[in-house]
Amino acid sequence: MSTAQIKRTDWSGFLFILPYLVIFITMIVIPLFWGINLSFQKADLFGPGEFVGFENYARLFNNKIFLQTVGNTFYFVLLTVPVLVVIGLGLALALNKEAPLQNVLRGIFFSSTILSVTVVTLIWRIIFIPNDGLMANIFTQFGWEPIAFLSDPDWSLISVAIATIWWCLGLPMMLFVAALQQIPKDLYEAASIDGANKMQSFLFITLPSLYKTIVLVTIIQIVMQFQLFGQALLMTQGGPNNTSRSIVMFIYDAGFRRWDIGSAAAASQILFLLILIAAMAQFIVTRKKGEQI
Amino acid sequence: MMKTTQWLVPVTVAALMSAGAAQAKTELHLQRFFGACEAEYGTNTDVSAAEGECGIMTSLINQFDAEHPDIEVKVTTVEWPGYDQLTAQMASRTPPDLVTMHNSVISDYQSRRLILPLDDLLEDAGVSPDEFTSTARAGVTRDGEVFGLPMDTWTMLYHINLDLMAEADLLDADGNPMLPGSPEEMLEMARQFKEKTGKPYLIQILSNETAAYTRLFYTYMFQQEEDFFGNGEAISLQNDAARNIVHHFKTIYDEGLTTKNMDYPATVSAFSSGEGGILMNGNWLLGAYNVESQKPDSELYNAYIAYPYPQLYANDDLYVDGHSWVMPNKKRNKDELAATAAFFKFMAENDYEWSRTGHLPSVEAVLDNPDFQALPYRSDLVSVTTRGKGLPAGVKRQFAIQDIMGEELASAITGVKSVDDALADAEARVNDLLSNL
Repeated sequence: MSTAQIKRTDWSGFLFILPYLVIFITMIVIPLFWGINLSFQKADLFGPGEFVGFENYARLFNNKIFLQTVGNTFYFVLLTVPVLVVIGLGLALALNKEAPLQNVLRGIFFSSTILSVTVVTLIWRIIFIPNDGLMANIFTQFGWEPIAFLSDPDWSLISVAIATIWWCLGLPMMLFVAALQQIPKDLYEAASIDGANKMQSFLFITLPSLYKTIVLVTIIQIVMQFQLFGQALLMTQGGPNNTSRSIVMFIYDAGFRRWDIGSAAAASQILFLLILIAAMAQFIVTRKKGEQI
Repeated sequence: MMKTTQWLVPVTVAALMSAGAAQAKTELHLQRFFGACEAEYGTNTDVSAAEGECGIMTSLINQFDAEHPDIEVKVTTVEWPGYDQLTAQMASRTPPDLVTMHNSVISDYQSRRLILPLDDLLEDAGVSPDEFTSTARAGVTRDGEVFGLPMDTWTMLYHINLDLMAEADLLDADGNPMLPGSPEEMLEMARQFKEKTGKPYLIQILSNETAAYTRLFYTYMFQQEEDFFGNGEAISLQNDAARNIVHHFKTIYDEGLTTKNMDYPATVSAFSSGEGGILMNGNWLLGAYNVESQKPDSELYNAYIAYPYPQLYANDDLYVDGHSWVMPNKKRNKDELAATAAFFKFMAENDYEWSRTGHLPSVEAVLDNPDFQALPYRSDLVSVTTRGKGLPAGVKRQFAIQDIMGEELASAITGVKSVDDALADAEARVNDLLSNL
C-alpha cells in the first residue's frame, strides 16, 4: 500500500466524524471561548461589554454567597456520588440474574431516572413538606417532633441529595449490570473449584473486573452532581440562608435575574475548572491504582 | 386560447393575494402571567361570568378578540413572573408586542430602552394618565414618561378568621376585629390569641419564598419614615428602624405566635382550615377566601374579613406594587400600533372587571363605581390607592433585591443569624448588586 493511499483512507475516516465535529465546535468550543471572553467583561444581555480584566473573578472570591455555593456544591457531590456508586453497585449485584423478577425490579429501579426534575421534586416535596408531608405524618405517628427537612439549614441540602439519589440511581445500576454481565463465568467457576467463598470471589474477581466501570460511573456522577440546579431550585430555592444554593443556581441568578453576565460567565469558568479538576483527579488516582492492580 | 390562459394565471394569483392581504388580520402577540385556565375559560367572552385572575384575564382577552374582528390576538402564558423568559426574548430580539409587568420591574427595562414610553399611544387611544389613581400613575411613570398601562394596585393584607378572633376576645362591640396600633400591642394581642385559642396568631410564609417578609419589612420601614433607599443607588439597613422590625417579628417567631416552616401553599390551606388567626398575604386571595366564607362547611363560613397591614409606627404608609401592560421596543406598523392602542383602551375601560380579582383598580373612576363599592371588603381597602407607595422609581433589580432581603430577614427571624449580621449582610449584598449594574 502506497503512502498516498494511506493518506486518502485517513481523510475518508475523518469525514465520518465531521458532522459531530462541526456541532462540537459550534455548540461547545466556540461558546466556551465566548464565555471565557465574557468573564473578563462587565456586560449585560443587551449591549457590548466593557473589558474589566479579572475584576469579575475578584468579586466572586470576595463574595460570601458564591464561596458558600462552592462549599455547598462540594458537600452535595460528597453526599451523592459515593452513595450512588455504592448503592448502584449493590443493586446491580442483587439484580444481576436473568430471571423475570430481577428484570422487573431492574425496570422499577430504573424508572425514576426517566422522570423529569419537576416530577421528582413534586414527589419529594410531598414527602418532606412540613405539617402534611409523609415524613411529618410518620414522625407525628411515633410522637416525634417532625423535622423541617426543607427549611432547616442542616437538612435542606441533605433532603435535596436524597431526592437526587432516588432520581439518578438507575444509570449507575444499569452500567454496573452491563459490566457484571461481561465478566466471564469461568473465572467464578475456577475460583469455586479452588475453594473461594462468595466474598473472596467478589473481592478478587468482581471488583477488579468492574474497576473501569466504577471509574466511569464516578466521573459521570461527579460531572452531573456538580451541576445541581433544578432539584434545589424547586425544592428549597437555595434556602434557608443559602444553605442549599448551588454554583449553577448562583450563575443563573447572576445572569438572568441580575443581568450580570460577566460575573455569571466568570462563575461558569470556575465551575468548569472545578469539574475538570475533580474528574481528572479521580481519573488519575484510579488509573494509578489500576496500574498497580 | 393558450395565450388567454397564460395571462390569466398571474392575474388570478395577484387578485387572490391582494384579496388575502385585504382580509389579513393584524396580529397582537400578548405575553402574560396570572396562570393558564384554557379548559374553563378558553372560549368564554362573558367577563362578568369569570372568576379569579386567570379566568377574568382570559375572558377579557377573549372579549377583546371577539369585538375586534380585524385583530388576531395570540397569547403566551408564562410561569410567574416570566421575566427570565422575557429577558431572553429581548436579548434575542423576539419580544412579544405587549407583556404584563410589575411596576417595580419597569425601571430595569426602561433604563435599557427595552420598553417604550406610551404617552403618544395612550393619547391616540383616548386614555389620559390623569384617569389613573395617583399610586397607579406613579407606579408606571419614569423620568416624566408613562411606560405602562396600569392594571391595578396591590398590597399585602391581614386575612382574618373572625371566629378565632372572637374566641380570643379580639372583636370589638361591632364585631370587627381589633387590630394592633403598635408593636407592643401586637405582641399582647398575639399572646392573648394563643392563650385563648391554642393556635398561632399569625400564619406566615417562612419557607421556600422571599417576597412576603420583604414586603412586610418595606411597609414598616416606610411607617417609621426611614429613607432607607435614599437616591435609589444604595440601601441603608444598619439602623434602629430596621432592627425594630426584625426584632419584633423574631419575638413573634421565638414565642411561637406564628406558624413555622410553612411554604406559600401550606399557609393558604392552613388559613382555610382555621390553623391560625391572621394570614399575611396579598389582596389576590380576597376573592377565593370570600367564596370560601360562603360555604357552610368551611372553617371561614361567615367568618372572614381582610384589612391592609395595620399601622404600627408613625404613619400609615403601605408598600404597594401593581401590574401593568408594557410595550417592548420593536418595530411596529401603523395597524399594529392602532391594535395596541385599541387594546389599551379596552383594558382601561374594563378595569372594574379586573378589580373583581381582589386587586385595587388603577382607573380612579372605578373607585366611585357602585358595582365596585358593592364588592366585599373593598371599602376598607380603597385607601391603599392613595397611601400606598413603592420603592423609589430609580431602584433597579427590585426582584433580585427582594430575594436578598427575604433570605436575610428569614435568617435573622428564624435564628440562623443574628439580627445585626443579617442586616449587615443584606445591606452589603444589595449594595454590591446595585453598584455593579
